[in-house]
Amino acid sequence: MSRAVFGSLVVMALALALAFRLIGADLRPVHHDEANQAVRFGMLLETGEYRYDRNDHHGPTLYYLTLPFAWIRGQTTLALLDERTIRAVPAIFGAGLILLFPLLARGLGRTAVAVSAFLASLSPALTYYSRFYIQESLFVFFTLAFLIALGRYALQPRQVWAVSAGALAGLAYATKETSLIVLLAAVAAAVLARVWTVAPGESGGEAPPVSSGTRAGHVMAGLAAALLVSVAFYSSFFTHPSGFLESIRAFSIYVERGVGSGPHAQPWDYYLRLLAYSSSGGLVWTDGLVLALALVGLLAAARRSAARFWPRYIGLYAVITCLAFSSVRYKTPWNLLPFYIGFVLLAGYGGAALIHGARSRVMRGLVIVLLVLACWQLGMQNWRANFQYSADLRNPYVYAQTSPDFLRLVRRVTDVSALHPDRAGMLVKVIAGPYEQWPLPWYVRRMTQVGYWSRAAEAGRLDDAPVIVASQDQAETVGAALGDRYVSEFYGLRPGVILTVYIERALWERFLASRQPQPQP
Amino acid sequence: MNKNIAMCSLLVAVMLAPVVARQAAEKVELKLQLPKPMFIGTPTNIKSPNLEVITGKPRGPFMVPAGTKLLSLKRPVKSSDMQPVIGEIEMVTDGDKEGGDGYFIELGPGKQWVQIDLRATYALHAILAWHYHSQARVYRDVIVQVSDDKDFLKGVQTVFNSDHDNTSGLGLGKDKEYIEVAEGRLFDPKGAKGRYVRLYSNGNTTNDLNHYVEVEVYGTPLT
Repeated sequence: MSRAVFGSLVVMALALALAFRLIGADLRPVHHDEANQAVRFGMLLETGEYRYDRNDHHGPTLYYLTLPFAWIRGQTTLALLDERTIRAVPAIFGAGLILLFPLLARGLGRTAVAVSAFLASLSPALTYYSRFYIQESLFVFFTLAFLIALGRYALQPRQVWAVSAGALAGLAYATKETSLIVLLAAVAAAVLARVWTVAPGESGGEAPPVSSGTRAGHVMAGLAAALLVSVAFYSSFFTHPSGFLESIRAFSIYVERGVGSGPHAQPWDYYLRLLAYSSSGGLVWTDGLVLALALVGLLAAARRSAARFWPRYIGLYAVITCLAFSSVRYKTPWNLLPFYIGFVLLAGYGGAALIHGARSRVMRGLVIVLLVLACWQLGMQNWRANFQYSADLRNPYVYAQTSPDFLRLVRRVTDVSALHPDRAGMLVKVIAGPYEQWPLPWYVRRMTQVGYWSRAAEAGRLDDAPVIVASQDQAETVGAALGDRYVSEFYGLRPGVILTVYIERALWERFLASRQPQPQP
Repeated sequence: MNKNIAMCSLLVAVMLAPVVARQAAEKVELKLQLPKPMFIGTPTNIKSPNLEVITGKPRGPFMVPAGTKLLSLKRPVKSSDMQPVIGEIEMVTDGDKEGGDGYFIELGPGKQWVQIDLRATYALHAILAWHYHSQARVYRDVIVQVSDDKDFLKGVQTVFNSDHDNTSGLGLGKDKEYIEVAEGRLFDPKGAKGRYVRLYSNGNTTNDLNHYVEVEVYGTPLT
């Protein structure tokens, strides 16, 4: 494949990736995790201050890297933010993965990288979480960049690669504390692949050997870079020094979660089943193509005649990381991304092996046509996952997703506040546990008088608020206190989670009057 | 004068008594073929003045005039979304009411309707609808109408309307919302006459799509 064709294909894949990740960014209702992070970012945007919270938030890169996106759009407060701004951050990093792929062209081959680029751009899983204001796509970006830098160092032990790998590891750690699993898996994969490929006739070494002292210096420089970057972020750029230590203290929380039997506990094969095949409510989903091609890639990488460092390194990384994440009981679907990106690269290598292994032009053409058709299937599935069924329970990537019905609640509160004399200053009391409060704070960010309580008894008198939102466990108490003076409605928040909205009767009547019956079309 | 009125009233009552009694006697229980339940109970104990009370018990007998027949089986169906995302539009009247995959149609998001052409005008006595009964959910703004006009521009009789805030723009509804169950929701048209039956919905508490497993319309020919 010529350099020009290769470049054109990568650009096409990048354009596709950007289109799938950026178009209709506000289609899916904001997930409670996204809302929580967006409000947290809003505080940074408004005050310039950030404090790491080890209890329920990951690292700060997401927030700091959202700043330029908000500035570009002229959004200076939480109230001015919107979904397109916050979701542009993971979208750009998600699509940016494609730009890292050409760095692997020498190691995997141009054909493999071109196939991988299309698979990544069309991947429903990679796209779905690139449209999600959480850390994952940034994490995968930094992880892959680290993987490449570490691989380069393994073959060419130079300080520049050691420092690059260190800085990228620092960024990965500053994105998610749990990155240590992935980083260690990458190091293990690099060592194993290096040992594997130094057998006679299989040398992957491309640089003269360096002394152990020099190597130790490189390692120290890399660790210093990692430390500097991660301390900078966790300490809010050296204004909150204890932030970095807090991130280390967070390990105990993640270890507890990882081995615990909470609501996120899943069987070991959860990720593989999710990728291989799922069927629900008339919809069938499969990333089987990527898995099958990755298997071909793995076999091709293991073959002695095709022994190369990079495919083995990527393959080992993908397998080790997959095993590590599968062995942890705590599982959420977005946690598959760090190893899935390895599968995608292996799949590209597998696709290239099939193309180059074809014995005739006809066979080669047939393989290419089949790959194009397979990419088409992936693209159609991507469209379903991200545009048609982005908040539907039948979508395997949907997890504790806010129901579209919740947007009706938001519209209702907004509509009645427009009829209230205080408008956006209308008092709204939200009486629900923390899990049921979110993502409301994001959606009512332009309202100035919204209060949150976990129990009705803590909220003082209730009838001073024209609108009250209550969770089901509080609805009975709230309803009894309000009596007939309020009208109530219920809305789905998430599967099995209902919120009740109470609206002062006079306000409700004004609202109804504003909706005069229209003639039937 | 008062005595005359009283005498006349008594005479009318005596004359009508046999007719009323015969009509009452001619009421029979509507026999329904119900699918197997796909779930037991509800995932959450939803209580709202705007939601029908969940009893968890069977609906009980529903009485209709003798001679009432299923009119909708295999009758033509039209929809605001003629290309369902899942299923074929004909499935609305194909007689299959199971809740599993392959038995329902999925219409696009927002307000959508399906319309059944009974091929003639009938007096309607029961309309039974299953939107989707493999999960407890509430369909929003359910409106059931009957008309002789295929475009529902004139002579429209509203049988049921749970659109309590007039989202659909078809008038404020006073009927309560309800949770989908395997026995379907029975609407009483109270003898409304019409050839076409149209059912609206506007998404549901789980997603913003619209579904129909089956719609059955029962009635008697006009005499």
